Amino acid sequence: MTATENPTNYKWIGTRPIRHDGFDKVVGKARFAADLNLPGQLHGSIVRSPHAHAKVVSIDTSAAEAMPGVKAVVTGDDFPALDPTHPNFDTAVNCMARGEVFYNGHAIAAVTATTREEAKAAAAAIEVEYELLPAILSIADSMAEGAPLANSNNYTRFVPPGDPSNLATVTNLDRGDVDQAMADADVVVEMGFDCAHVHQGYIEPHACVVDSGDGKANVWCSSQGHFRVRSMTADVLGVENSKVKVTPAEIGGGFGGKTTIYLEPIAAKLSEKSGRPVKLVMSREEVLRASGPAPSAELRIKVGATNDGELTAIDGWMAYGVGAFGDMAGLIGAMSVASYKFPNLRMETYTALTNTPKSAAYRAPSAPHAAWAIESVVDEIASELGMDPIDLRLKNAAVEGDLTAMGMPHPKVGLVECLEAMKASGHYQSEPVEGASRGMAVGFWFNIGEESSATVNLNEDGTANVITGSPDIGGSRASMALMAAETLGIDVYSITPIVADTESVGFTDVTEGSRATFATGKAVVEACEDLIGQLKARAATIMGVEVDEVAWVDGAAVSPGHGGGESGEPLTLAQITAQAKRTGGPLTATASLNAAGAGPSFAVHCADLKVDEETGETEIVRYTAVQDAGTAIHPSYVEGQMQGGSVQGIGWALNEEYIYDANGAMENASFLDYRIPVASDLPLIETIIVEVPNPAHPYGVRGVGETGIVPPMATIGNAIKAATGVRMTSLPMSPPKVLKKLNER
Amino acid sequence: MSADSTSLLDALRDELGLIGTKEGCGTGDCGSCSVLFDGKLNCSCLILAPEAEGREIVTVEGIADGDQLHPLQQTFLEGAALQCGVCTPGFLVAAKALLDENPDPTETEIRYGLAGNLCRCTGYDKIVRAVQEAAVQLKTTSEQGA
Amino acid sequence: MSQHRAFTGGEAVVRANGATVGQVINDLEANYPGLGSALRAGSSAGIGGEIHAEPEYLKVASDTEIYFLAPVVGG
Repeated sequence: MTATENPTNYKWIGTRPIRHDGFDKVVGKARFAADLNLPGQLHGSIVRSPHAHAKVVSIDTSAAEAMPGVKAVVTGDDFPALDPTHPNFDTAVNCMARGEVFYNGHAIAAVTATTREEAKAAAAAIEVEYELLPAILSIADSMAEGAPLANSNNYTRFVPPGDPSNLATVTNLDRGDVDQAMADADVVVEMGFDCAHVHQGYIEPHACVVDSGDGKANVWCSSQGHFRVRSMTADVLGVENSKVKVTPAEIGGGFGGKTTIYLEPIAAKLSEKSGRPVKLVMSREEVLRASGPAPSAELRIKVGATNDGELTAIDGWMAYGVGAFGDMAGLIGAMSVASYKFPNLRMETYTALTNTPKSAAYRAPSAPHAAWAIESVVDEIASELGMDPIDLRLKNAAVEGDLTAMGMPHPKVGLVECLEAMKASGHYQSEPVEGASRGMAVGFWFNIGEESSATVNLNEDGTANVITGSPDIGGSRASMALMAAETLGIDVYSITPIVADTESVGFTDVTEGSRATFATGKAVVEACEDLIGQLKARAATIMGVEVDEVAWVDGAAVSPGHGGGESGEPLTLAQITAQAKRTGGPLTATASLNAAGAGPSFAVHCADLKVDEETGETEIVRYTAVQDAGTAIHPSYVEGQMQGGSVQGIGWALNEEYIYDANGAMENASFLDYRIPVASDLPLIETIIVEVPNPAHPYGVRGVGETGIVPPMATIGNAIKAATGVRMTSLPMSPPKVLKKLNER
Repeated sequence: MSADSTSLLDALRDELGLIGTKEGCGTGDCGSCSVLFDGKLNCSCLILAPEAEGREIVTVEGIADGDQLHPLQQTFLEGAALQCGVCTPGFLVAAKALLDENPDPTETEIRYGLAGNLCRCTGYDKIVRAVQEAAVQLKTTSEQGA
Repeated sequence: MSQHRAFTGGEAVVRANGATVGQVINDLEANYPGLGSALRAGSSAGIGGEIHAEPEYLKVASDTEIYFLAPVVGG
């Protein structure tokens, strides 16, 4: 369903062809990272710290090296020491500790042997002596006066150089006069919130095979961006990028968690030392203990409003707990405050270090935490004013020209259109079923552009190969093929979309930030447009006319006398490519760009749910997601992104959390105990795609991958409030926590 | 030929080259390694390879009839019921087990029938719909055949 | 960010000259020592509602408003 009329009639865009890589994936032929094996391949195993923070006094590998089948052992000493200011210094230390471990699960050594069992046994025989250091396990501990350092290599960014600190960023965004506006407000609501660490939960564990023969690391792995794997691996190994080649395997889910590396340099070094290819595959426990969760957070949000529902001011305090390595989670969280006009705004944010796994991006990173808090407070304002929550938001919704928290005006955005679509939806227009209550909330994400390349080769038979460097996480090959088919005017199944290795296509940034269909798609369209110019010139030669007399219409060259008037036939693309040799050789084009103009995407979600007052369990009975896609290239995969993001958010809202013991060991490092939603937990996820085209993309694409995870937590919290009168302020809203609040009523 | 401690999953993948069966957890919690073991749905990571001696094992590679995809495979493709595709083999095997047992399941029965399989991409919506559509197609085929 | 105002005597909006974003940053550095390097630590610029990554050589017309942003990441 499309809520807004797309003004352009496309032939291919907006259709739902079977994805080109689909067949292999339903018959079991598709090769994911762990499915690759090389002749003579060894298996690796990694030794991980059992302590959250400790000095490494000694590592004794002698017993392990003497064990059967063992071919090589590596520790931090095998890797070059990068300068602490190097952009990949933290990544290098996170891949393999050097003298100090920063979280329980931190890699400290690795071994490779003929079989997996031999490698595991040898890893268990590596003896490490630790000297425990104080471990910081919470944001409050991290920010406490005189707190010990989680990582003495960390310095606060964006401020004059100072002493090492637990704070990676301390930033303030502000406009207007917040204190005066709060004093003038008719209604002020202030509440505190917290969020536990949650994991991206991709089903495919991290895996790679590396063959370091001939002085070059040949890497096969699953990642969201193999060019970043190349540069990070090269930096950690201390070699030039050209000494690393990365071939992307199919990727079994990423959600931001596969935008960095963990295994590749270790496998490369084990391969170099053993002279054999080495395969490393994480167990699920390793994935949870040692790959990036999303940050934890503590937030305090205060919003002021007038009696007629104008949101006049927001005053926020946000702290994000990111593990023991700095990033900018706090600042990004504040920047994501962009849904409402808020003439007065103050956001004080912190990024705090903790001795927990190094956090990684997770779908609209930092935005879900902030939206959970703000959308809960805005819901309270709507209740106090007795306003419909959509009407309150419509009154304050940001439109083109309104300022984000960062101070920059929005480009053309579709929040109002999304709110109106939700308001008009069958879901919102009908009453909740007996015993259920309703909540809704809004989400925002920027989306990004960045660098992409595409090469399009036309084959002699009129088919086309579309070659990009964007790993296909959820149907992007089909989207690339659709955009190429639309531009060239040929059948979508005449196109073979290919994700090529780092030596076979131009540099392309990671599939992240909802950017692949936007930026790589734009490169595909530009390459196809270049080809149309070439095709017209070849057609002019064949037709014997001037090139400016040739037009490209519906996949064929047309000129006067060749389908352009009363007489003759157009020259199809296949007829032109068949004569390529006679007219100048192969037809091929490449486009590369650093795309600006990524279109922000808004979403509006609505949930009907029941709360079991005896158990505290929440059952979602109806759920609808509305999102502005700009243009939906392949609507099924746009819906899929909206549904997948919604359900990840539902898991975040209701169940998912890292549970640490007093020493920082994760107590629930399995899919049994870290429980992500299963089919029987959920209703169908209804979707409404809104299309407010992004003027910066040839077909109006905004990017849809991330925004869907932003609204669910507040959507559900608001519905629980409607159901029970209880305002939940701690994620997850798991049955014990809900029950406790119900009993406190 | 497998060692006594080798799992059926590892034997399928490493010794028979049947890589369609995936390992997502190794502890029987995700269903990516689902196989039919004498017609019953099981996690192959929890079965020792020697236990499979003399038994009929069906993996995702054995669902299609030659080049003719099983209706579940076709409806998964047409309904975009896969995104990354790594859980898909397990879901196809589990859905086949479900429809073999119950050719006309309700939405709730489908959801409980697939509750042992984790998917992190789709939110299950399009998977449930694809299984519903396959059930309709299979029923039509069997009625025509009868 | 209000941190940047430490360099500008509290001003949130300042004027600067240059034909590219890089030249504008150099001009800001000349007038507000330290601001240029602080801006280069973040590396995005918002112009006309579009966010530009690594904008050093991006051409700007006169009277253009430039918003200096932290680089946005994605998941």
